[in-house]
Amino acid sequence: MNPVREHQFCLTRRHFLRRSAVGMAAVAALCKGDGLAADDSPPHFAPKAKRVIYLFQSGGPSQIDLFDPKPQLAEYRGQDLPASIRMGQRLTGMTANQATFPTAPSIFRFAQHGRSGAWLSELLPHTAQVADDLCFIKSMHTEQINHDPAITFMTTGFQLAGRPSIGAWVNYGLGSENENLPAFIALVSVGTGNTNDQPLYDRLWGSGFLPSKYQGVKFRAGAEAVLYLSDPPGFDSRMRRRFLDDLARLNEFKQREYADPEISTRVAQYEMAYRMQSSVPELTDLSKEPEKTFERYGPDARKPGTFAANCVLARRLAERGVRFIQLFHRGWDQHAKCPSHLANQCRDTDQPSAALIHDLKERGMLDDTLVVWGGEFGRTVYSQGRLTETDYGRDHHPRCFTVWLGGGGIKPGMTVGETDDFSYNVTRDPVEVHDLNATILHCLGIDHKRLTYKFQGRHFRLTDVHGNVIRKILS
Amino acid sequence: MRRTRDQSAKLAVLLTAGAALSLSFFARPARSAPSPQHSIDFNREIRPILSDKCWVCHGPDATNKKLRLRLDSEAAAKADLGGGRRAVVPGDPEQSELVRRINAGDDAERMPPPYSGHRLTDREKALLAEWIRQGAKWQSHWSFVTPVRPAPPPVKDQAWLRNPIDNFVLARLEREGLKPSPEADRVTLLRRVSLDVTGLPPTPAEVSAFLRDRSPRAYEKVVDRLLGSPRYGERMAFRWLDAARYADTSGYQSDRERQMWRWRDWVIEAFNRNLPYDRFVVEQLAGDLLPDATPEQRLATGFNRNHRGNSEGGIIAGEYEVEYTVDRVDTMATAFLGLTAGCARCHNHKYDPLTQREYYQFFAYFNSIPESGIHLRAGNTPPTMLSPTGEQRRQARRLETEIAALEKVLAAHETNIQRAQETWERSLAARATTQHWYPGDGLAAHYALDGDDSRFAGDTVKYQPGRIGQATEFDGETTLRAKEATTVTDATPFTLSAWIFPTAENAGAILTCAKEAEPSAETPAGEAPMGAGYGLFLAGGKLQFNLVSIWPFDAIRVETKGKLALNRWHHVLARYDGRRTKYGAAVFVDGQQQELKDAGDSLSEPYSVTRPLSIGGTFGGGGGEGKPFHGLIDEVRVYNVPLTPRQIAVLANPNPLDAIARAAGRTESDSDKLRWAFLASAAPAEIRRAWRRLSALGLQKARLEAAFPTVMVMEELAEPRPAFVLRRGSYDAPGDRVSRGVPAALPPLPEGAPDNRLGLARWLVQPSHPLTNRVAVNRFWQMLFGTGLVKTAEDFGAQGEWPSHPELLDWLAVEFREGGWNMKRLLRTVLTSATYRQSSRASAELMARDPENRLLARGPRLRLPAEMIRDQALFVSGLLVDQVGGPSVKPYQPDGLYDGLVGSGLVYRQDHGEKLYRRSLYTFWKRTIAPPSLANFDAAVRDSCAVRENRTNTPLQALNLMNDVTYVEAARALAERAMRQGGRAAEARLRLMFRLATARDPKPHESRVLAESLGAQSEEFRRDPVKAARLLGVGEKKADAGLDANELAAYAAVASLILNLDEVVTKE
Repeated sequence: MNPVREHQFCLTRRHFLRRSAVGMAAVAALCKGDGLAADDSPPHFAPKAKRVIYLFQSGGPSQIDLFDPKPQLAEYRGQDLPASIRMGQRLTGMTANQATFPTAPSIFRFAQHGRSGAWLSELLPHTAQVADDLCFIKSMHTEQINHDPAITFMTTGFQLAGRPSIGAWVNYGLGSENENLPAFIALVSVGTGNTNDQPLYDRLWGSGFLPSKYQGVKFRAGAEAVLYLSDPPGFDSRMRRRFLDDLARLNEFKQREYADPEISTRVAQYEMAYRMQSSVPELTDLSKEPEKTFERYGPDARKPGTFAANCVLARRLAERGVRFIQLFHRGWDQHAKCPSHLANQCRDTDQPSAALIHDLKERGMLDDTLVVWGGEFGRTVYSQGRLTETDYGRDHHPRCFTVWLGGGGIKPGMTVGETDDFSYNVTRDPVEVHDLNATILHCLGIDHKRLTYKFQGRHFRLTDVHGNVIRKILS
Repeated sequence: MRRTRDQSAKLAVLLTAGAALSLSFFARPARSAPSPQHSIDFNREIRPILSDKCWVCHGPDATNKKLRLRLDSEAAAKADLGGGRRAVVPGDPEQSELVRRINAGDDAERMPPPYSGHRLTDREKALLAEWIRQGAKWQSHWSFVTPVRPAPPPVKDQAWLRNPIDNFVLARLEREGLKPSPEADRVTLLRRVSLDVTGLPPTPAEVSAFLRDRSPRAYEKVVDRLLGSPRYGERMAFRWLDAARYADTSGYQSDRERQMWRWRDWVIEAFNRNLPYDRFVVEQLAGDLLPDATPEQRLATGFNRNHRGNSEGGIIAGEYEVEYTVDRVDTMATAFLGLTAGCARCHNHKYDPLTQREYYQFFAYFNSIPESGIHLRAGNTPPTMLSPTGEQRRQARRLETEIAALEKVLAAHETNIQRAQETWERSLAARATTQHWYPGDGLAAHYALDGDDSRFAGDTVKYQPGRIGQATEFDGETTLRAKEATTVTDATPFTLSAWIFPTAENAGAILTCAKEAEPSAETPAGEAPMGAGYGLFLAGGKLQFNLVSIWPFDAIRVETKGKLALNRWHHVLARYDGRRTKYGAAVFVDGQQQELKDAGDSLSEPYSVTRPLSIGGTFGGGGGEGKPFHGLIDEVRVYNVPLTPRQIAVLANPNPLDAIARAAGRTESDSDKLRWAFLASAAPAEIRRAWRRLSALGLQKARLEAAFPTVMVMEELAEPRPAFVLRRGSYDAPGDRVSRGVPAALPPLPEGAPDNRLGLARWLVQPSHPLTNRVAVNRFWQMLFGTGLVKTAEDFGAQGEWPSHPELLDWLAVEFREGGWNMKRLLRTVLTSATYRQSSRASAELMARDPENRLLARGPRLRLPAEMIRDQALFVSGLLVDQVGGPSVKPYQPDGLYDGLVGSGLVYRQDHGEKLYRRSLYTFWKRTIAPPSLANFDAAVRDSCAVRENRTNTPLQALNLMNDVTYVEAARALAERAMRQGGRAAEARLRLMFRLATARDPKPHESRVLAESLGAQSEEFRRDPVKAARLLGVGEKKADAGLDANELAAYAAVASLILNLDEVVTKE
């Protein structure tokens, strides 16, 4: 059995059973469950990244306004999207009945940046500065055209609820690197681009059919980052210590009577809870961060619950050995007023995203931290609603969108994939969602085909029966 | 031959090693005979290898891969593959291609191929060879063969037996060289059985009574008492709700509220009245199709509507119609058949004999329901039914009886009434009074608009000749605003009625009662924002009726399809039934109900708005184009009931009574108007009284019915929808058309079964069905022992786990079926067995030998399920409110539970008072953000059918039990209870708390720890009494002021300690 993957409770059981002078077989039986066979335990090969920070941009960022310049579109401005481009593909019910599909070129200017010459829009000046550390995939595509199924597909590899999220898979495969914090932590925020944007669901960081101990723990903004973390009013840490000591004494009486390892596991979990009571507030307290942090991540970083503050937290979590850190940032659903809303949304996210890359690099952590930035789909080249000189809306577009990756295992300063002149169809190096997920696992030393879990008689995996690691972007 | 011998030797070594490892004691023969001579059992030892490692390609779906070799059928496996090669040559491993290929050294030759990710262990290879050597005997998959009652096996220790269950268990133990554990002590046993049957621990009085009862049947009496408790139904229902993916929200995207709790209450009731399981199955799957289906039987079909429903803007209806149907098939398959049918949605099942075509034959049973793939965002999506509670039904019956009696009285006087009415009509006709009559019951306000401004604030208006008397003129500048405010809520039904004479298409607001709106970025272009409330508008010539909670996310907005003609009088009427869906919004023009199109379909967030009614304009917004009205408005009436179509026709009838009386012909509304006017005002006194009473009762009944809850149910289209094989399972890739039918590998449909869901349901419960009873008894077993006899409770197929006690499973299954599918009886049999009654104490050796207790050499020791942990804390502290059924409740949740996750101002609105202390069964279940304190303890999330119980042990559970308001308050209430009822001595009080939580007395060393803990915490609170006050302030229930605060706080701290004990959250 892979020692890294052994969960706390297995460790405890092992101690218990060793004390009881019983062999390892029972431990293996206890801990294995329906899980991996011993010889399939990751890492399957040397990992490049120890951890992942996934900056999920919920709602569908507009690739055409941010990453995928199409200067030649200017001449099509206002003209109906050619049928040769749309090729009869399905549209969402929101625009399917639109009388026309007026082509809406981005009103934002694009330029090339860094030695790699990555194209980025003027909305992303900070990202531009770290462009040489990143790898842009402009040829992502997905099967889903609506938020719920699309975001569920991105995060769990399946469009319907019920499958484990990518972080849960990683937690299941690799276990924790630290003893004071959960191995998978989710952070949520909403931008000013669309404050009433799509909701998020527990399932996006849930464990699906995996045991629930693998699910992500959502940290909340404010005083109590983890639910039920704080002792009740009037009950201080010293009293809690006393409480736990007394509890352990009573539980140990029971343990002597019953050989049930669950009892000592429970004692250990109460201790872990106690450690979290101090480690989590220490972690989420940014007051001791130097001024430089806030200059780098921007003033929003002082406000708990913002994307910027969460990016700082992500770095702190990475420093503390949290395996999978996933930020979910809402507000990218620009059906209307795309230019102004998108500008707001980028103002919230551009600087902190870039700062995180910069910060990790400076601390020597970018080499073994994989950072992923992207949403569940892209947006249409045609305008949803009226196209004016300064305004347009964009509907969901599954056929192409952009994500970027940086850090552990990824070749820096490159762009893969191309789209047609309308940023509508992928014309080169298509990358599907399963490919991206397979690649993320690969960077962590996991063969996505071998990380399986038997459920309902089938060996399930994150990538179902699909997925090819995107070899050309690996470092 | 030498090779075979080598292999045999190797096999012997491996089998022995396997036994020593103790990893797979189900796959290996009895411990005493690990030799190659043991007879290999195909089903137990070979099928799992073939299924897991080979069938992905060489299985039921081999045709898809264009492979000739199939290893899932005996004939195919032993057939000539060409050139005389055969995969399996019985008795001759050397000649068997299978053996050669699995042992091939060359990667290109070896099976399974390296790229498949599958590998055979040496032991598996040896087993396959040995099986072939022994003749390659084949068996049908065990779970597809109808169980026959096995004879209970003989055992040595006869004295231990209590019923046949014990024979099966003990026979296995004796084979394994193990002894059963002694019977659990009485207190432990009582707590175990109480939790198992009712979900709650025994009270101290129940413990004492049981200890006192020394009769030999004392335990059986307890079991009967518990099975008779109404709490039994609640306990059983919780697990069934997991299987039925019951929740209070729709589950996709914005995940708003729906109301399925009437179905949930049906489940509780079904368990409590011990509805036989076969009827339990039939009524839930097809209650609507039963001959003369009762309302209860129709209600039961809510089972098939508990699936999630999508309302996201832009989804394609057809896609989700398929998803819902698939969900019904998969749920039926998991819950009743224990089969993973979902695999066959996209291709033939890889492991089980279920083709893709057969999957869609199942599908064809469930797709003929008049349901749209686009669900309402909030509320119940049709088909629905009204489902009054028992109390509401009783009230309705009382009203109906009285109404019928009065109608009889009137009918008896019909000749007289008619004669009197004719006389009255003649006098009317002669008088020319231009009198009118309109319904008066439920009338909240009437503005005649005949020139009297005194009831209005706002602008001064001009009057013009109107439809009836004068009318008010609106020139686009003026608005009338009633002086008195009225309160409207999302749940209040009403009817708005007015005459209008529009002079422009965008004439604007007619009647509104809404909050001032705040413009927001999300307001659609070209529209004014709307505040919460209602509004009736004329926009673009069409009548628009809006009910708004949060515009535009949370609103009902309907519009007539046709336009109103300008410059003429129309009677306009809007009606809302208070049920929060678009189906409850109706618009009538000139007495005719209009066809509507909708932009917003339902309300979710409740609102209550107290504002004056505005006529002809809005104040600070309020809708549509936001423009004041252009034209005339007359005779505004607001009713606080939804009027009937006949009443509406009378309201829209402009003819004065005298004109009707004179006219040669009469419409229905003419006749109604005259008759009702006569009965109300001119009939003989006795008749008038009867009529008034009748009319008042009618109003009461309408109000009562408006409060009836609805529930989503099944209905069958008269013409079944065609069903097709969907290629790759995709909604837009239909292949061959299929008809309804059941898989060939299972028994055929019973003789004469109807070709619909009812036929399917009857098929499931026919005696020859091999799965339904096995799957059910296995789930009951799992409920009591933590693990089913088949561990994979959701999968009885080839990939499922071999039963630990196959004969016991079959015995129970047959016993269940032949005993009339009697659930209580089955449980009673298990609960009174010696097997169940064993102590759960295990030696370290036994724990190591059988960590999961699959051999049943001891009783179950399991952490309580999520709902029981909370219910127990509420119960022992005396907080639990013991009320069965009703709408779901919103108990304590951490502040800001939805923050950051959902927009649109949706928040968790916690309830207060008794609703905080109901059993967890009634906790409001939002699927995308499940109640964290239940989710932390492994509750199923209810997205899809879940039948397997899951238990983890995490730090989040520790935090939850220590710090959640629920448990802090319960600890304090437990402390209060101990201080009030436990006497004066600390020791006695501590003992009482401990007894309430564990059912037993603490042992001296435990008492010592409790006392020391109390001492230490008392010291803390004495040092800082502010802390005590703060701790006691947790929770909405006020602390008992009669108790010393410092002392109470210290007891509360110890009570919390007790509630956190491993023993307390564990069933022993």
